[in-house]
Amino acid sequence: MDVNSWEWIFLLLGRFHPLVVHFPIGLLVVALFLEFLTLGGKRQGLREGIHWMVFLGAIFAVLAAVLGWLLHAYDDYEGDLVQFHQNAGIATAVLAMVTGLLLRTTLKGKLATYMYYRIGLFATVTILVVAGHLGANLTHGEDYLTSVLPRNQDSYDNESTKVLLTELKGLDSLSEAQQEELNLGVRAILAHNCYQCHSENKQKGDLVLDNKRGVYQGGKSGPVIVEGRPEESEMFLRISLPPDHDDVMPKKGKVLKDSEIKLIELWIKSGAKWSDGALKIFPEADLALSQPKLPNDSKESHPVDKIMDSYFKEKKLKWPVVVDDRTFIRRAYLDILGLLPEPLKIDHFVGNGDKDKRTKLIDELLGDTHNYTQHWLSFWNDILRNDYSGPGFITGGRKQITDWLYKSLLENKPYDAMVKELINPTEESEGFIKGIEWRGLVNASQRTEMQAAQNIGQSLLGVNVKCASCHNSFVSNLTLEQSYGFASIFADSVMELNRCDMPIGKMAEVNFLYPELGSVEAESVEERLLLLSEVMVKPENGRLYRTITNRFWKRLMGRGIVEPADEMDNKPWNADLLDWLAADFVNSGLDIKQLMKTIMTSKSYQLETTRLENQEELQKGYVFNGPILRRLSAEQFSDAVSQVVAPMYYAAAYDPNNEGLPSNRIWHREIKFDRDVLPEPGKRYFRKSFNLDDKKIRAAKVLISVDHSYALYLNGKKISEGSDWRKVDRLEVADKLAQGKNLLAIEGQNEGAIANPAGILFAMKIQYEDGTELLVTSNDTWKSTDILPEKGWVTVNFDDGSWQEVRNYGAGNWDKLVNFTFEGTEREFARASLVKQHPFMKVMGRPTRENVATTRDEQATLLQALELTNGEYFNNVLKEGAAEWLKKYGDSNEDIVLNLYQKTLGRNPTEKERGIMLGVLQTDAKEEALQDLFWSMFISPEFQFIY
Amino acid sequence: MDKDLHSNARRDFVKKMAAASLSAASTSIPLASFLSSCTSDPAITSKADTVILLWMAGGMAHTETFDPKAYVPYSKGVESKRVLSTFPKVPTIVDGLHFSQGLESIGNVMDKGAIIRSYKSADLGHILHTRHQYHWHTCYEPPQSVQAPHLGAWIAKELGPVNPVIPPFIAMGQRFTVGEAEELKAFHSAGFLGSEYGPFLIPDPSSGLDSVRPPQGMSLKRFEARYKLYKELANKSKVMEGGSDYQRESLMRSMEQSYRLLNSPEAKVFDLSQEPKEVYDTYNTGRFGLGCLLAKRLAMNGGRFISVSTEYEPFLGWDTHENGHTRAAKMKELIDRPIAQLIKDLDESGHLDRTLIILASEFSRDAIMEGRPGEPVQDQVDQPDIIEDEKFYGMHRHFTDGSSILMWGGGIKKGLVYGKTADERPCSSIENPVVIDQVHQSIYHALGIHPETNYTIEGRPFYTTPDGQGKPILDLFGEKIVS
Repeated sequence: MDVNSWEWIFLLLGRFHPLVVHFPIGLLVVALFLEFLTLGGKRQGLREGIHWMVFLGAIFAVLAAVLGWLLHAYDDYEGDLVQFHQNAGIATAVLAMVTGLLLRTTLKGKLATYMYYRIGLFATVTILVVAGHLGANLTHGEDYLTSVLPRNQDSYDNESTKVLLTELKGLDSLSEAQQEELNLGVRAILAHNCYQCHSENKQKGDLVLDNKRGVYQGGKSGPVIVEGRPEESEMFLRISLPPDHDDVMPKKGKVLKDSEIKLIELWIKSGAKWSDGALKIFPEADLALSQPKLPNDSKESHPVDKIMDSYFKEKKLKWPVVVDDRTFIRRAYLDILGLLPEPLKIDHFVGNGDKDKRTKLIDELLGDTHNYTQHWLSFWNDILRNDYSGPGFITGGRKQITDWLYKSLLENKPYDAMVKELINPTEESEGFIKGIEWRGLVNASQRTEMQAAQNIGQSLLGVNVKCASCHNSFVSNLTLEQSYGFASIFADSVMELNRCDMPIGKMAEVNFLYPELGSVEAESVEERLLLLSEVMVKPENGRLYRTITNRFWKRLMGRGIVEPADEMDNKPWNADLLDWLAADFVNSGLDIKQLMKTIMTSKSYQLETTRLENQEELQKGYVFNGPILRRLSAEQFSDAVSQVVAPMYYAAAYDPNNEGLPSNRIWHREIKFDRDVLPEPGKRYFRKSFNLDDKKIRAAKVLISVDHSYALYLNGKKISEGSDWRKVDRLEVADKLAQGKNLLAIEGQNEGAIANPAGILFAMKIQYEDGTELLVTSNDTWKSTDILPEKGWVTVNFDDGSWQEVRNYGAGNWDKLVNFTFEGTEREFARASLVKQHPFMKVMGRPTRENVATTRDEQATLLQALELTNGEYFNNVLKEGAAEWLKKYGDSNEDIVLNLYQKTLGRNPTEKERGIMLGVLQTDAKEEALQDLFWSMFISPEFQFIY
Repeated sequence: MDKDLHSNARRDFVKKMAAASLSAASTSIPLASFLSSCTSDPAITSKADTVILLWMAGGMAHTETFDPKAYVPYSKGVESKRVLSTFPKVPTIVDGLHFSQGLESIGNVMDKGAIIRSYKSADLGHILHTRHQYHWHTCYEPPQSVQAPHLGAWIAKELGPVNPVIPPFIAMGQRFTVGEAEELKAFHSAGFLGSEYGPFLIPDPSSGLDSVRPPQGMSLKRFEARYKLYKELANKSKVMEGGSDYQRESLMRSMEQSYRLLNSPEAKVFDLSQEPKEVYDTYNTGRFGLGCLLAKRLAMNGGRFISVSTEYEPFLGWDTHENGHTRAAKMKELIDRPIAQLIKDLDESGHLDRTLIILASEFSRDAIMEGRPGEPVQDQVDQPDIIEDEKFYGMHRHFTDGSSILMWGGGIKKGLVYGKTADERPCSSIENPVVIDQVHQSIYHALGIHPETNYTIEGRPFYTTPDGQGKPILDLFGEKIVS
């Protein structure tokens, strides 16, 4: 016999650990308790006993630790938990010994007080409790304690298992219906506890439990079920092992509940029958709207408030306070138009005694169609994954729907019409289902047909198709087959199912997720799209209307009635409210503005915002108690700065008021290695000649904008210069023109240290008395050189034969200057929603719309704070604004302070605030002081949140 | 001395980090609420704190750089198919290891690092550089149903900054005003991890300082006064009455953090003018070289993930569609000296041990083959069979079946040559082929990040490498596989 044969002794000793551990626990805990009783010199009679308990406790603690170590070493215990437990156990033993020694030392009189020993004892017991708890977790499973806490019940309903078990337990034989119920009950247990490892996707131990074949076939070690004999069935045996057994299933430390084990036992015993019924493991919302009746016992007049009135009564809550007029008008402006109200407007509103003024204001704002559209465009762009730039455009693999969307919002197109046009699109709206196509091969789950299914699912129906487009979903009842069936609607050939990008030899059959709404089968894609578009908008498809209603509620109130808003199978916090609103929306003719009005005219919308101590209050167990504080969106922030200080953006990617002038810029053609490249810094020279008819000129206007700077000459005379491409310089040049040949010359300069975009945007409109016009613009008929020309190059007679044709650099780097127009002359800014994604907005939370983005992260981040603090872009706008304010208000510091408060916060400063600001402005460096005031205002929470 | 400073800085840092992560924890609750991380495994000990990625954007031909094949000099009328390398090979400091001419300096530091000669790019069909770059940097093939995070963002998320003053993910050298800019932006992103972990972009390393100090033209005094003013006004505001709310508090906390960072004297790390002139000149082969210099300073002072790109601009840089030979020679001049100097400087200062440096490109190039054997894709460059004009002499097509990756420091075995490509066309990986999942996992391995790190987004667990399946190449670290 070798040494190993002695192992059994250690193993045996080790197994005494669970017994021995209870001695130190008992002794030391009681010792500590008694020690408390002796505090202050009382009950000295206990002393002797306590001492014995401590010494004995220490000895047993050491013994328990040694035995525990043996158990760990010779038995099969592994893992972090064991390690933690061991460390805690050893620490207990050591501390117990130290405590014992301290006590002895004290008793010998070498220490003056019991204090050290008492501290030691207290520490020992504390760590002992930890060790004991970890040990219990090992034996009973980590969730042994916590699983019975009310909040920690598994997300699925274990009640149903219990109910089912009680119902079926005592019966001698089961009917077919009961067999089916039993099987579905068992499969729900398998789904929640076993699929993670044993499904078609993972197949641990070659065992698959998510289909019939797999369950009966078993795994690597043979069948797992012997029909009628649970005691011989591997499945039952493994799940009924003790929680700390190595072979226990689902896994050590996590075992099934008693009722679940019993139900599985019952199922095997009664023959392990399989049902062909569809398994709905996850809760699903009803498709149809429930058409709830309004409560008639409420004093409230608004339907939403009637429902909320019963809600508050039920929750035993009082109605929160309604906000004052100033807060309301700011909120309403930002929600409908995305802009701040002008001070005058606020004063009028506050001073107005009309009882209905809030409703009237909402109507008025909803009537401001362009501003409404330019605000809500962002919301829809996010949801419909529409953007002005981004991957895919370069190879024609993506298409904007901006024009369609803008018009749809402008005319307040009914929602069903919008949905129909998105699904069965015109050329203008096809970008949504077209998806984003990158050049080359893509993953099967990212084919554009699948993207269409995913995006319609997420954006319009609040259902996650993404998971199920790679494998059967783990988070909903959707299967791979259903996703492929849905995607096939958009495919012009039959699709083969791919599981995790591997073809599985099965062909998809056209199908919509909710077949009860009607068939979408047809020969051609076009026919199917037509069918789908009709099926989608049926009033029976309550899901479509609930989803959008919930999004609007969320947008206006800060939190959805269902959360997350993309998972509409989740339980709403007020089902009646959601379904009433959705039904009202349907009944009102799917009028989006009407839906907004319904929400916004309610008292519920006009309540003060709730103060939340932490984010968790929005999650589980949420109770409505007024709107949630919302942060200004990237666009709202930018537009507010543009309104108050100076334009954040001068150029838009989409300009609804386009006058038809070109936006392309020209510059000298620069070549490196035979390729067109970005222009190097430095001066370039440009010429363009044109002929004028022999007609009387009424007016001649020039618009010019040059990146980075320019000097413009007309017929040899310098007529303008500038160094800010964002600002359009406007000139009247009629008196400088000559009959016959005329010459425009531009000396342009590109700044910077490395090659970077540069370009001239130019337009000249000459209006003759007879009503005809001549338009000269920046195009490739201009000539240029990068070599300093000889004197006289700005005149007509110069020979530019050696000069070359300019290159058209497009508009991509600059977009469309909203002020590049002959008509408007007032300074305008480009609404942020119309501007291409920009680093400032990106950091402020505007999503890159490569995927559908239905929720924005409103959380403050460090990168954001850095951008706001030292970002060049933002600080430059403040600089520009400060200079203009000083021009406008001059020395009147009072006016500056008053205007700043009224424009940004919609109120007058308090005496204190006024004092602080006036103090800051008392300086020679007033422009800088004003910049700093602007900054402090825009950073302040009062500005950045919608209260 | 320097080393001591480093560890001091680190200790100091740990303190600051603790504070920073506390506040980060409280500012990022919404993310945490739907993301659940697989925490890093205490069993993995890290070998590196910092990663420097030297990115050879545009497709660097392995046969013209670190894996030379038979040299066929230019002569009018030479057959394209005979041209395997257009440079002679030169020995390196490692016995038997040869590089292509023009990379002698890097050859001289190969005793401090390893070379992988068998990297295989993904087969993504018709070549688009940025798609392959996206794939290299995120380990996922675009498009994805959620936005995939960049390697650097994962590292920033898992490990945070080394020095709180230095953003944990810095990307240098790439401008976003060039062709395929939108595609470049798509992977220079923290994706679903949230913009907090996104790249701090420094297109021009010589102006890096501007991004970490008070706004230009603002004195420190004014900067401090401005912050004080904001605090005072914010605290006096009526919205402060009636209790606290977490949104406002996290906003004010983030402002405070940013104020502290920008007010820190450590920002001078970003200032290249602090370097002695001769050092500056050694590195200065252009923006890439200066990027290496800034990377050195960052690595020595607590950078976490730093990438330096030769910059991708379609048909420029390594993207040689013609004149391949002369352009490759120019590119080698750009990278050879600064990279070698970077390795040397970090080695001498003792930082190389804890800094992992990787040099890589999205794929290689070849004179004939577009794509890879067996998976030919649409040719993008016309290459004559017989070369009559020198501009056709070089590697002009995109080759995805074999390329080189160089690694130094951070526990990488010194002098190792891993894998091999064929000596005849197609010069494919024929021994120990390596895919991107392994490269990422090797980097995570060096940093001590668990291979199955993942977050759940929209109900889907999203791993650092697809399905959490990637495995590190332990041979690179001279480690044995423990079963």
